[in-house]
Formats: sequence, structure tokens, C-alpha cells
Amino acid sequence: MYSNVSRKAKSLRRRILSILSLLLLFFTGLNPLLAQSKPDPRELIKQVDDLSDFSGKDFSAVFTIVTQKPGEKDSVTQARVFRRDAKKQFVILILLPEVNKGQGYLREDDNVWFYDPTSRKFSHSSMKENIQNTKAKNSDFTLSTFAEDYTVTKMTESMVGKFPVWVLDLKARTNEVAYDRVVLYIRKDRTMLLKREDYSVNGRLMRTTAYPKYVELEGKLLPSQILIVDEVNKGEKSQMTMTEQSVSPLPDRVFTKAFLEQVSR
Amino acid sequence: MNLVLLRIAARNLMRQRKRTMLLAGAIAFGIMIVTILNGFAGSFVKNISDNFSYLMGGHVFVSGTEVTPSGKRISIIRDDSVIMQALEDSGQKWVSLQKTSQTIATLIFEGKSIQQTLTGIDLTHSGMIKERLALVDGNWENLSWSNAIIISQSIAKKLNVLPGDVLVAQLQTITGQNNVGEFRVAAITIDSSFVGSIMTYVQLEYLNSLIGLGKNEYMSLGIMLEKLEKSGAFANALYTSMKGMGLNLFDRSTKDENGSMTPFQAMLLEQRTEQWTGTKYRLYTIDDVLAQAKQIVVAIDTGSTVILIVLFAIVMIGISNTFRMAMYERIREIGTMRAIGVQRNEIRSMFLYEALLLSLAGAIAGIVLALIAMGLLTLISFDPLSPVFLILKRGHFSFYVPPLRAIGNILLIAVLTLVAVYAPANAAAKLPPAEALRTVK
Repeated sequence: MYSNVSRKAKSLRRRILSILSLLLLFFTGLNPLLAQSKPDPRELIKQVDDLSDFSGKDFSAVFTIVTQKPGEKDSVTQARVFRRDAKKQFVILILLPEVNKGQGYLREDDNVWFYDPTSRKFSHSSMKENIQNTKAKNSDFTLSTFAEDYTVTKMTESMVGKFPVWVLDLKARTNEVAYDRVVLYIRKDRTMLLKREDYSVNGRLMRTTAYPKYVELEGKLLPSQILIVDEVNKGEKSQMTMTEQSVSPLPDRVFTKAFLEQVSR
Repeated sequence: MNLVLLRIAARNLMRQRKRTMLLAGAIAFGIMIVTILNGFAGSFVKNISDNFSYLMGGHVFVSGTEVTPSGKRISIIRDDSVIMQALEDSGQKWVSLQKTSQTIATLIFEGKSIQQTLTGIDLTHSGMIKERLALVDGNWENLSWSNAIIISQSIAKKLNVLPGDVLVAQLQTITGQNNVGEFRVAAITIDSSFVGSIMTYVQLEYLNSLIGLGKNEYMSLGIMLEKLEKSGAFANALYTSMKGMGLNLFDRSTKDENGSMTPFQAMLLEQRTEQWTGTKYRLYTIDDVLAQAKQIVVAIDTGSTVILIVLFAIVMIGISNTFRMAMYERIREIGTMRAIGVQRNEIRSMFLYEALLLSLAGAIAGIVLALIAMGLLTLISFDPLSPVFLILKRGHFSFYVPPLRAIGNILLIAVLTLVAVYAPANAAAKLPPAEALRTVK
């Protein structure tokens, strides 16, 4: 009788041990897999930055921005953008509406100039200013610098539509960044920014940007359609569509004031 | 002065009334135009200065600037105790002090938006607000709200708001970060002027919290004096006093190398380009800000003098020819006068007296006409929302003709007329009496 009980107990102990060993083996084996699936948040925002970085190459594209405002007719703004990221330069040349044709923005380092062909004068602008009457800002046309400007305070998981995403909560490193807090929704299976939320200093949601469509250019994924929703002035939104994107080299004279003056004639 | 000759000269002018009226009319017209231009220029700077003092809330201003580590310039006065001490030590008198912060914001209400400059002042304790603004809606008690905003009638109409409504304001902090605030409409003011219509006042403390300034910090200190004319001396005394207290100040008399800038513009350029640590202060007056407007006055004055000379060059040719004609008409009369003993220089003087009387009559008539025209022009009322309002006095033209300027114009006309008439007068004086008497017209 006693030997029977002792045998059963031994067998139960063995079973428990083997289950525990299996569990231990399972979790130790899975651990690296888990570690792989939750990426380093800093690396992730660097990857997002890299997607828009064309350093060493020139970039040009045509952006069509359709802006909706309550009680107003939809307005269409079209601009040709030239970028040289290595030298922190860009030129935005307004093509539409006809009345603003020839106006342009030139960035040289941290200075942004606005050119008005009517007065033939350049005035000071900034990266934080909106392009014409749209919801898009000058900074939306340049490479993003999330890794440089922000620190990640929180990383969670969520869904954007049918896509599982990493939600990164970013806090500005200095008080000179346009938005004090930014929340990024990055697709898990492939580094693609699907949504972005910009918050004011006192924590109010100001702008939501969605990136529903992407195109591949020189191995990089670029958003070809961007929807910007003004969360403060409800009902106002802009939809940007990118076409004619290219990385062909641009002449140096493109990034000069003289170029803006010349093309607006 | 020979009174007989003067009487003869006056009589000669009256003999040809039509001709005299035409010549004097031409002179009067020229003088009238120039006097109106002088009158406009004379009040131009005063009107702009008054309107800007109202707009900026002072005659003398102190503002502080700091350079951030990234090189950005921010407008800030962190601790004003030393400035207040310097004010006391300067021994100058002032009427009121006003601490202000300012920012540009987009005011939003139910889908409507408008861009406005928000001026933050202590609404609860500001005497200036109650003194200057006339309310059409809301009341003064509402100014105690921590997020109170006073807007003009035109802005209220554009946004369709009433007292008690809450406006959302989208703005940037002093370092350029986006922020959002909510302001409650405390009162709506009547648009007494273009200046009034563009001013939007909010609580200084709340605005500071939105733009990243501390509770007791602000951007600019406005000092209202008894009279604008005292601002230069006041600013000099305060500058010396602040320097004496060891404050870092921008030089008030800085000039750029090519001289194309006013000292105030040169000071602004210095503020944008120079590097320093801590707070550096800018002390300036309304006159400094409006130095360029003074250049406009100089241009108007110079222009009016040129017009005067051109107009009179034409008139003088006419006068010279008319007097030459008069000399031939009166040739036998001159011969007779010479025959009965009138000397050559007396004949010359007679013609010159005629010219002098003509110019004086024309000039005085011109000034009288200018006064009437200026009086009529002041009756025209301009739209308060028109930008031209800045150069007007309460929506009307105003004129000030400096007396010396008017006397100068009269003297100039007199001299030019005498010069024009001298040649025919001289010719008349040199006529041999016998030959003159023999001449048959």
C-alpha cells in the first residue's frame, strides 16, 4: 500500500518537474523572440526619421493640397518641392492657386524666407508656419527629426484600422520644438508611420495627421497621401497628395533666392 | 519809404483790376497749395505719435531681450525691481506705467477664426482701459475673470460672439511652441478708431501662462508722460539712471555705417545680430519709433517747397511779361513824371512797390483761402477701420501750419516777385523822358 502511494507521489513529482522544465524551456526559448518583437523605441523613431531622409541625394515632388474649411469652398494649393537634406535646404514653389503662383519658400540652414513676386521682396518665415491657407506647415515638407527633438516617454500597443501598431509617446527635449508632445502610431510589421498626433504645451490635441498611402522610392517608403486634421478649429482639414517624386540631382542654383525670383517672372 | 510812390503804385494796381486780380489769384493759388501741404505735414507726425502712444500704451518704453542657448531672441523682463529703482532715481515724472506682454493669436469661435494681436495687461487694475474704452456690451466687473478678453465690435461681429462666450486661441510661446488657450469675452468695445478696432486686451497673467512667461514677468514697460514732447528728455534721464544701476542696455544713438537706418532701426538690427548673456534692455520713445515718419514729413516739406518754386517760376514769367507790358502802356506817363522831376530810382521803386503790393495781396489771399480749404477738409469724416486713420486726428484731417513757415513762404514770394519785376522796372527807370513823351502807342 505504502509503496503504491510512494510510487504515485514520485511519478506526480516527476510530472510536475517535467512540466516545470518544459515551461522553463518554453519561456527561456521565447524570451529572445519576445525581445525581438518589442523594438527599442529610440531605434524605431530613428527608422521613421530615416524614411524621410534623402541625405546625399536631392529630392523633388509635386504636392497637391486640398483644404476644407467650414462654410468655405474647398481650396486647392499645389506646390513643387525641392529638397537637399544634406545641406538643410529646401525650396517650395507655389503653382496653384493662380493668384499665388510664383510665391515661394526658401530654407537655408535654420532660416526660412518667403518670396512674394508682386512686391519682389523676401520676408522672414519659419518652419512652424503654415503653407499658404492650408493646414500643412513648412516642416511637413522636410525630413523628420523625431530622434533628435524628442524622447520617448511611453511605448504601448494598439491598432490603426486593421494594422497592429506601436504607439510612441514623445516629449520634446527643448522648449523650442513646435509641439511639446507628439504621439506616433507606427506599423508593427513594417516601419511605417500611420498616424501622428500633435499636442500643445498645455496638453491639448492640436493636429492629427494620417498617412494612408505610401510609395517606394529608392528603397524608402514615402507617404504619398497625408491627411491633416485641425483639432482646435474643428472641421478644418487638408489632404496632401504627392506626385512626380524623384531623387534626380538638382542644380545648386535651385536653392537660391535668385532662382525664386527667376521662376516667378 | 516814399508814401506818395506807394500810393501811386496802389492806384496803378487798381487801374487794371482784372489783370491785378489774375496775377494775385495765381500767387494766391500757389500759396494756398503749399500752405495746405505744410499744414498736413505739420500735423502728420503729431497725429501718428498720438495714435501710436495710444496703441502702444506709453510715450517711453523699456523692453528686455534674452538670447536662448540655440540663439533665439526672446522678449522678456524677468525682474523689474532695478528698472523701477532707476525710474525713481531718474527724478522724472510720469503719469502711469503699464506692463504688457504681446502675442499674435488665432481666435476661433464655432468655425470662424481671425488673427489678432493680443495685448496682455492687468485688466483688473488698469485705469487706462476704463478711461479709453467705451463698452457696447459686457461690463467692467467681468474684467475680474482670470481669462477675460476685451474685443472690439468689429471682431465680435466677425466671430459672432457675445459677452460670456469662450474663444479658443491658438498661439505660440516665446520660444515658438504651439499652445492653446481659452478666453472668455468680458466686454465688447466700440470702434472709436482704427487703433481701437485692432486692439484686443487680455489678462496679463493668463497670457503669460500661455506664452511661457512667469506670473510676474512681462515683455515691455510702457511709461505714459504728461506730454509727448517730454519723452526725449525723460528717456535720456532714464537711460543714464539705468546705466548707472549696471543694467545692460542697447545704445540709443547707434547708427549703421551707410546711414540708411534710423538709430531705432540700427538698435533693432543690433538686437537681432549681437550676442550677450542675461537680459539686455532697449529704451526707446514713440519719436524713435516714428523717426521714419519724420523723414516723410521732411519729404513732404521739401516737395512742397519744390512745388512752390516751380509754380512761382511760371507765375513770375507771367508777372515779368505783364509788368513789361504795363511799362509800354504807361510810357508817356513815365515820360511826364520824369519831365516834372521824378528821379530814375523813384520810377524803379514805383514798379517794385507795385510788385510788392501784388505779391503781399496774393500771398495773404492764398493763406486765407488755405485756411478756409483746411477748415472744409477737417469736416470730412473717415471710416474708423481705414488704415489712413493712423495719420488722422479722431477720424478727421488736422492741419498745423508753423507760423515761421507761413512767413517764410510770403517772404519767398515777395522776393521772387521783386526779382521778376526788377528788369521791367529798371527798363522803365532808364527811359529818356523826351523819348518817352514822344512815343505814340
